[in-house]
Amino acid sequence: MDTGFDYSQAGFAIRNDIATAHRAIWHKIGEPGNWWRGAERRAIVREARNARSCSACKQRKASLSPEVACAPHNTSSNLSDAAADAVHRIATDPARLSKHWLESLEADGLSDGHYVELLGVLVAAISIDAFHRALGLPLEPLPKPVPGEPNGYRPPGARDSGAWVPRVQPEDAGEAEADLYPSNAVPNVISAMSLVPDAVRMQQQLGRVHYLPLQSVMTPNDNGGRAISRLQIELLAGRVSSLSQCFY
Amino acid sequence: MLRASSQTSGDDVDLTGIVTGGALSWGARGGTPRKNAVETGIVGDKVLLAFVETALDDDAQATAATRNAVIETLGEAAMIDAAAVIAHFQRMVRIADGTGIPLDTSFAVQTADIREELGINDYGRAPQNSG
Repeated sequence: MDTGFDYSQAGFAIRNDIATAHRAIWHKIGEPGNWWRGAERRAIVREARNARSCSACKQRKASLSPEVACAPHNTSSNLSDAAADAVHRIATDPARLSKHWLESLEADGLSDGHYVELLGVLVAAISIDAFHRALGLPLEPLPKPVPGEPNGYRPPGARDSGAWVPRVQPEDAGEAEADLYPSNAVPNVISAMSLVPDAVRMQQQLGRVHYLPLQSVMTPNDNGGRAISRLQIELLAGRVSSLSQCFY
Repeated sequence: MLRASSQTSGDDVDLTGIVTGGALSWGARGGTPRKNAVETGIVGDKVLLAFVETALDDDAQATAATRNAVIETLGEAAMIDAAAVIAHFQRMVRIADGTGIPLDTSFAVQTADIREELGINDYGRAPQNSG
């Protein structure tokens, strides 16, 4: 039985589906993935939290170019330099990531599978932590690592389709990925992390409770039964994207 | 999606509000929205924008003030749902920026005018700036 994310003392009536999803995602992060052990996935979460106070990240963020030479990151884990750099940059300066930078990580030994899985774990943790910070709640203790080895699974349908990393397009999803997409017409952001299918599954599980069920997303006036209207939801979404300088 | 929602609902929404914002002076910085805040036409826009801005600014004291303002204006359940949406899009922007996905073709066509108008094409990872 997964525990944690007890919101009974939060001071707000937080929806049960949010707590349930957070608990499930946290447990999932602690498990071995396709490319990382549970303890390494936990280290990604630790490093994401640490990046917020990294002086090198602050220096780089303030510089005109993200390529500027900076002091080493203030790391708090035993992740490789390439993995730690990926965590720090995605966490603190995502709008200035580049294909050139990603290729440099691969040259330093971080494979595309490792990178996408790292991204999936990282963004799930950032999102859950962001929810806690917005509500003024303490952060959840790091996930408990589950012993085991990564299985090295790579979806057979993954191919280059115009992104920096291979993806499984809906028409290429085999039996093992049949559950990833509700239809053959999904936005690129849904398939973005499909090189690691569980990253998409985590994304959708969180998206259903933080934003909207996928079937509601494409219906402009469907607010999924939330206490705010769809216009208010999209106002929030647009402002976060704008402040984050996200073109997508 | 904001434009699609407003067109479907028939509401007259000023989309420049998502770029200009309107509330960085809220809470710890003075307690009221900026005087030149854009009226988007959406109910509760100022407190919602302020909530986003203080949350992303990582200012716990100011966020407490904007959180309370959302509760006072729209209610506690609305504040919680707003916090969840803010959390969600902090994830989604990193997925888009971290994987270098292209804009969906239909979406690019539908939003070409508004992307130009709002200056979104000037963002660093916009297709013409990406490398």
